[in-house]
Amino acid sequence: MTQSMDDKGLKAQVENRLADLFSDEEGSLETMEEGRSMDDHPFKELKVLLLSIEWEITDDAMDSLIREIKGRETAYHDDRIILTFLQLLGSAAKYIKVNKSKAHPKATRVISLVYTALEKVALSEGMAQAEKEKILLDEVARFKRLREEVKVRKEEIKAQVSSKTRGVSVRQEREAVVTPPEETPAASEPEKIRVQPDLGRIPPHEAFAHALEEIKEVIRAEFKALRAEIRLWRESG
Amino acid sequence: MAIINLRKKEVQAKIVYYGPGRGGKTTNLDYLYKKLRDRIKTEMVTIKTHGDRTLFFDFLPIEIGKIKGYDIRIQLYTVPGQVKYDATRRLVLRGVDGIVFVADSLEVRRKENILSLKNLSDNLAAYKKSIFDIPLVMQYNKRDLSEEGLPLIPFESLEKDLNTKLKAPSFEASALKGPNVIQTMKKIIIMTIDSLQRELR
Repeated sequence: MTQSMDDKGLKAQVENRLADLFSDEEGSLETMEEGRSMDDHPFKELKVLLLSIEWEITDDAMDSLIREIKGRETAYHDDRIILTFLQLLGSAAKYIKVNKSKAHPKATRVISLVYTALEKVALSEGMAQAEKEKILLDEVARFKRLREEVKVRKEEIKAQVSSKTRGVSVRQEREAVVTPPEETPAASEPEKIRVQPDLGRIPPHEAFAHALEEIKEVIRAEFKALRAEIRLWRESG
Repeated sequence: MAIINLRKKEVQAKIVYYGPGRGGKTTNLDYLYKKLRDRIKTEMVTIKTHGDRTLFFDFLPIEIGKIKGYDIRIQLYTVPGQVKYDATRRLVLRGVDGIVFVADSLEVRRKENILSLKNLSDNLAAYKKSIFDIPLVMQYNKRDLSEEGLPLIPFESLEKDLNTKLKAPSFEASALKGPNVIQTMKKIIIMTIDSLQRELR
């Protein structure tokens, strides 16, 4: 390997091979940068705020978003269609603000799709009223589906919590038959914080095990969401 | 660490696309796969969450073919960008030979870019690798959003924020539309092969 690879021509050969394999078909950025201005866009601020919550949902970002939606609602109070779009966005934003990372995974996607539809309706010159109404109805339906899914999810969580509580009380009753429950200091301690192990300092198999646990947790959450969705789909069918 | 099989005359290098969540790492690989699938004859593996985020990693193997009698195979990976998946990110970084740092050009993501680069440096250090020594290419993604008038971080500011000390080759790109996506990949492959060659001398 060293003999063959130790060659000044190698870099050039790799470059030539890559040029052969991947002939540039990419567009140019120059044309992109000459894009239209957004200065007079009626929802410029709203769009920026929506993009920012895709990354991280903070109280500040959500407050700004809700404030901006309210401002737009005032500006469009005499346009029934735009106003309804804004009300959908407002409801979804309030739900996300309250639930933050525990919000339904589809909520941010729905908010983004509703906004895209709003932009389409608001900025398309000459769009017929009937078409605008159709787009709005589609988004209202999407929003209702999300609301149903949220409801199912809430009920599932509630059921899980109550079954856990039942389990604990039954266990406590059984234990009480044998020995009276002792006061455990741990019970009054604050909730333990899960500390991430320093994976760089532990053996590879342990590092893998930690990552695997992390993935398992996400898969569990995914399956739960899928089950809720399948149930909804069956019920609606 | 690249796998070099002298008997079979094979070289396999691992390149990881790193960067903040929603920055466009998976979109880079999606674009490459869409454009090159007829030529590379391999499949892309991707696992996404319910909310369309990368769960573990995306994986796209590319066969470059024979060079100097050796079969060169490149494996492109992405890491999940969300902060909470740090253990997965570290695991994907194990044995990495080259990195593309995909920064988000949106003004609102400035802080996230810097935090993600710091996280990359820390995670490499856990494997006793320095961000200054590993082949690295900077990609400033989403430049196409200027088309929509959205506030972007100017190229000079991105360079100042992320590349003042590293001085890595950098590209303005749009993973969604294509400009400089292939160019970024070519650059990191060349740098990685070059680095492997120097290590072997």
